[in-house]
This record gives sequence, structure tokens and C-alpha cells, in this order.
Amino acid sequence: MTGNDRKIMFILAAISAIIGVMLATQLRSNLYPQQAESRSISELRSTLQKELEKHKTLLADISKYELLFYQYETALDEGESVEVMKEELARARKLAGMVSVEGPGVTVRIVDLDRRPSSLLTEQVEPAEGDAGREPGTSAGAYPDESTFPVPAGQVPQTNNDSVESFESFELAENGNVTIRTEGNSTQDGGKEGTGDIHVEGPPPLVIDQDLRMVVNELLVNGAKAVSLNGHRLIATSSIRNVGSSIQVDTKFIKPPYVFKALGDPETLISGLKLANIEGIFQIANKAVLMEKHDHLVIPAYQGTQTVRYMRPVKAKGES
Amino acid sequence: MKVRKDHLYLAIVTLVTGFLISHSIELTKLRAIEREGDQQWQQETKLNERIVKEKEQNRILEVQLLALQRQVAKVEEEVAQHQSEAAEVLAELEAARMMAGVIPVEGPGLVVSLQDHPNASQSENVMKNIVHEQDVTLVVNELRAAGAEAISINGQRLVSNSAIRCVGPTIIVNGVKSATPFVITAIGDPDTLEQALRLPGGVIDTLKDFVQISVEKKDVVEVPAFVGDYSFDSSSS
Repeated sequence: MTGNDRKIMFILAAISAIIGVMLATQLRSNLYPQQAESRSISELRSTLQKELEKHKTLLADISKYELLFYQYETALDEGESVEVMKEELARARKLAGMVSVEGPGVTVRIVDLDRRPSSLLTEQVEPAEGDAGREPGTSAGAYPDESTFPVPAGQVPQTNNDSVESFESFELAENGNVTIRTEGNSTQDGGKEGTGDIHVEGPPPLVIDQDLRMVVNELLVNGAKAVSLNGHRLIATSSIRNVGSSIQVDTKFIKPPYVFKALGDPETLISGLKLANIEGIFQIANKAVLMEKHDHLVIPAYQGTQTVRYMRPVKAKGES
Repeated sequence: MKVRKDHLYLAIVTLVTGFLISHSIELTKLRAIEREGDQQWQQETKLNERIVKEKEQNRILEVQLLALQRQVAKVEEEVAQHQSEAAEVLAELEAARMMAGVIPVEGPGLVVSLQDHPNASQSENVMKNIVHEQDVTLVVNELRAAGAEAISINGQRLVSNSAIRCVGPTIIVNGVKSATPFVITAIGDPDTLEQALRLPGGVIDTLKDFVQISVEKKDVVEVPAFVGDYSFDSSSS
């Protein structure tokens, strides 16, 4: 009898143990449902897209270095390997911005409206006043092109002529290019000249380093490959900062008008800048932003001398 | 009598077991049906799997690329040892590569970290107390002006066409998202860099009231190489 008793007790214990395990697992799977599900599909897609792109660029980089390695290996004599090295040097210098590059791109001019011919200003005072009343209220980017520009039709050609004259150098490059101008500012300017009380209050018409950095950043965000500001190529270590009342690029002072040149897809660059409301931001500072597409644009090389004093390549210490 | 009591226990226990088993089978079946029906879930899992796979592959490729770069560097050094002209070219080449940001570099420098203000959520103006892209660019710009030679933000090397973008609480550098704290690593003269940031009325003075900013001088910091789309292939020269 005692043997039978023990047997039953043993079975009981075993079954209770199984129940315990089952309960625990069931509870756990109910308490912690899959967490990865909460991310949206579109986000996942874009992440995947980025990884795929990275994959591609990595493969491209690897094949580039493999080719280089192969070239070194197959170089018949040392003279030839030096040649290979020089080629590689040229490539690296290009990436570093030490060589001028060219291609399709845009120019962005930040024009100080106070410096425009005074005749134009006075001409615009009268017709502008009617519009000045409603303009301060409208969004800054409300005049993306001339078709909505709130100046009477007669005034438009004059505005155009003036702009073309002052940008002769850029018209030279491409005659067939599309020209986009935003001149909504001149109306506001006219309002100020005519009747001061209509003019919307704002900070003084001063462009600071931050504004220029923002433009550069917007250009880069939209895929600009190389950017220059007033003829100074911007490289990885370039700074734009206020020094006193003027602005320095690296160690060189620049004066308005500020001209950006950027290589990249012109459509993307311009729509990107418009989307970021660059025009509106500069309008408050009493500046007009003129963007032009170019099929062929030359970005100069970095002019300063760059010496490497502190950094050195990371050498493999643990390996080989 | 004793035996019957035990039998009663046994019966209860087996009953409970049976119920649990059937219940859990039912539950898993129900869920499986739900999932199979839910295409979105399936797609998400597939995408997740692919992303994980792709990331793993990219990691392997990165390691491969680094190994290859070292191999090339070794060959270049060998060539340079034999010829003086090659040595000159190599020195230039290395400098150009470092400036272009295609190889990882190290050197003395500064580590600046920017963080949202600890009680940003309680302050009435939250926007003022979180780190924005402007704050990061401000620091980066100041470091550049002070002569920093190589800069990275959260492990992303800044090259000539790197953009810093702010999306929600994250900052995107070179197309890679990262969140606070933002660690900016710069190679250059540590003292000069620090003094530039600590100028009266300078960057730290401006930012310290709004966000948490800390600066640390280091004898050796490492800045990784840039990985990404950096080709001028479309623009001939």
C-alpha cells in the first residue's frame, strides 16, 4: 500500500510541476507580446532603403580599393606604382575639395535690397503701398515666382531687367537656363520707404553667419556635392562665422551680396531651399534670395593651405 | 479511503492540466490565424528580417573595407620605402585622404557632449531646453574655426558635403539618425579648441543656460572614416 501511495504522490508531483511550467510560459507570452511590431512599415522601408544604399556604396568602395590594390600588385616597376599612387592622390584631393569641380548646379544669391538702385526703389513706392497693407500678414514664402508677385504688371519687366543687369556674370554661363527670382521683398521695402507705420516690425536687415550656415546646410541636405560661398570652397573644416560686424569664411572676410554655388540636381536643390522657407527667412532680414539653375557650373578649389598637424591615420595595432 | 482521496487529487490535477493544454493550444491557434491574416504584420516581419540581414552584411563589408585599406596602405608603404619620390607622394596622399575623411584618424582633441536640459520636460518652454541642430552646428562651426582637423558627431565623420538635419528629437548626420546625447569629437589642439568654446559670450556661454554641455580634453581621440555616397562620378572634371 505504501508503495502505491508513493507512486501516486510521485505522479501528482510530476503533473503539478508540468502545470507550473505551463502556467509560467503562458503568463510570460501573454505579458510580453512582440515589441518590434509597433514600428510603421514606411519607417522600416526607409531604414531598409538606407541599408541597401550603404551596402551599394560599401561595395563600390571595396571594388575601388581592390582595383587599387590590384594596380599596385601588377605594377611592373616602382615608377609605375608611383604613378598609381599619384592617380590615387588626385582622387583623394578631389574628395578633399582641393580640386575644382564642375557640373550641373545652382547659384543662390542673397541680395541686399538696400543696395539696389534708388531709382527702382522710388518707382516702386507708389504702387507698392496698396499691397503693403496685406503683405505683412501673408506667409513669407507666398511669392514663389513672378506670376504671383503683387506688383502691377507694368513694374515686372523693370524688376527683371534690373536683376539681369546685376547678374550678368551668371547669365553668361547659360542663356537657356530657368531663372527663378523672388522679389516679394521689394514691396515691403517700398512700404517702409513710403509710410513707416505700415511696415512690419522686424530685426534689422543684417545677415549673420547662422543664416548663411543654414543655407549651406539646406543645400547639403538636398544632395549638394560641393558648395562654395563667394568663391570660397567649403570643405570639411570650413567655418562661417561672425567676426565683429562682418562674416568670415575660414579666415577670409566676405562681403554682401552673398553668392552660393552648389553642385547637384538643380531641381532638388531649389525645391529643397523653397521647402525650407529660406526665402521667407531672408525676407524678414530685408534680403531677396535669387536662385538660378545652371547646366554647367564650376566650383573652385579650396584656396587655403591645409596642414595636418594633429591627426594621423589609425594604424592597425592588434592585427598582423 | 486514503486511496480515494489521492484519486480525487489526481483527477483534479489532470483536469487542470487538460484544461491548460487545450486552452494554450486554442490560444496559439487563434493567434496564428490572426497573424496569418494580418498581412501588415507579415510584411513588417519580412522587412525587419531583411534589415537585420542587410545590417549584418554591411558590418561585414565595413570590416572587409578596412582590411583592404590597410592592405593598400601596407603596399604603399613598401613602395615608399624603396623610392624617395614615392615617399613624398605617399605623405601627400595620406594627408589628402585624412582631409577627405575616407580613412579613420586619431590624435589629440576634444569631446563635447550636448544633452537636453535635465528638467526640460518641466519647464514651460520645452523647445528652449532641448538640443537642436543649430546648437550642434554652432559647436561644430566654432570647433572648425578654432582649427579642428577632423570632426565626428555620434560616430559620423563630417566631410565637406555632410549635412546636419533635425527631425523630431533626432539629428540626422550623413543620413544616419541618432538621438541625444550628441557627442562631438574633434581632433586638433585641445587647449585652443577648448578656449574657443569657452570664450566669454561664446558657444558655451550661449548654450549652457539651455542645454547640458560638457567639454573634455583628450590626448587621443579617434574619428572614424566616412562611409556613404561621396562620389563625384556624376560631375566630370
